Amino acid sequence: MSYVPKIDPNECSAHGDCVDVAPQIFELGDTAVVIGSGPDDLILEAAEACPAVAISVVDSETGETIFP
Amino acid sequence: MEDNGVLIVGGGLAAQRCAEGLRRRGYEGPVRMVCAEPEPPYDRPPLSKELLAGEAGEEDLAYRPAWWYEEKEVELLLGTRAVALDPAARRLRVDSGAELPYEKLLIATGGAARELPFLAGYENVHSLRTLADARVLRRELTAGAHLAIVGAGFIGQEVAATARALGAEVTMIEALETPLAPILGEQVGAWFAELHRTEGVRVLASARLEGARGAGRVEELILASGERLACDAVVVGVGTMPATGWLRGSGLEEDGVRTDTAGRTRVPGVFAAGDASVPFDPRFGIHARTEHWDAAAWQGAAVATAMLGDYPGTPPLPSFWSDQYGLRIQYVGHAHRADGVLLEGDPATRDFQAVFSRGGVPVAGLAVGRPRAIPALRKQIERGHGPLDEVNDRKDEAA
Repeated sequence: MSYVPKIDPNECSAHGDCVDVAPQIFELGDTAVVIGSGPDDLILEAAEACPAVAISVVDSETGETIFP
Repeated sequence: MEDNGVLIVGGGLAAQRCAEGLRRRGYEGPVRMVCAEPEPPYDRPPLSKELLAGEAGEEDLAYRPAWWYEEKEVELLLGTRAVALDPAARRLRVDSGAELPYEKLLIATGGAARELPFLAGYENVHSLRTLADARVLRRELTAGAHLAIVGAGFIGQEVAATARALGAEVTMIEALETPLAPILGEQVGAWFAELHRTEGVRVLASARLEGARGAGRVEELILASGERLACDAVVVGVGTMPATGWLRGSGLEEDGVRTDTAGRTRVPGVFAAGDASVPFDPRFGIHARTEHWDAAAWQGAAVATAMLGDYPGTPPLPSFWSDQYGLRIQYVGHAHRADGVLLEGDPATRDFQAVFSRGGVPVAGLAVGRPRAIPALRKQIERGHGPLDEVNDRKDEAA
């Protein structure tokens, strides 16, 4: 549980794919917003599902960018 | 705009995003949506993919549950078509004969599939634009059925991929020598043709249809080469036209409504967004229709902002995505302007990106099976556009 997702509001066009993958982590407003946390692989799956590639994932322990 | 409120003509993505934007920004007046289809607003991309494949149900496509429209006081007039607009009186006439007054109007009636006259009237000839189209087409896509797809654009290609997954035999008929070549060039277009051939699709390029034979249903398509192609169903995916014919006599364009970047038309109080609109592109100083999901989403929201008197900013670069054979394909920019293309990666293993450039400056990028490449491509392209944006933003604000 060390992955942290971040949404770039300039790129997000609220497709909602991340909400479909992980409704406990993402919610749809004007753009998608992060509302919670969850397993690392679920966060990564949601980031990869985004057609706009608006979600970046950073490992909070190492500071490493996991995605994109 | 207190009394008659906002009237949204259309029930697609741009329409939905406008309604959402108005409420989110605190607009409290009446909001009504005139939707030609009987279903509440739904998302169209899955029609050729998850829904057609049976992986998603119709209920999964709705943008919002029924309670959302009640809670937000957005009134849906379902199964209702606009027939005439009187912008001087600020009234819209619909097919029931009713006249709906408005303070601000959004034209978001989308696009209509282009039809081929000699295929009109056959019951097994389908376009794919609506849920009703998808329902009918799904019944035709059984294992072993032979599907002919006219047009190897993205709709045709996505239907081909889904039909193959369902076990249908697929022939794609394309007038061009290379599919998608006018937009993505010969090299990338040829890659798409090869992708489908590898997946068992018969791709007929430089092929021209001359007619069809059959009683009630098409049994054979007749090609200019003399070939007679037996088929159980036909999908026509040869582009769309703005569904704006109902604007005849209104003073607005019947062939797609021209707007500025904020969706304002030449008529006060009237806005347009999505496939029905031809918005100003500040990057090139021209009006151009994009027909992409992302564009419709942005434009609908931009109109909500503009209706409330704010400036929505510069539209993002055009972008789209496609899912075929489990592969994600993503695109950003304006590849039709390119004079060169550079492929990186391995097209043979479906893992590559194409960078399109003009005079050495990147203008578009396409990524196949590598979503991580898109943000960097986007930045490269935006850097190339840099100064243009500022100049045209100012021009647009002044206009």
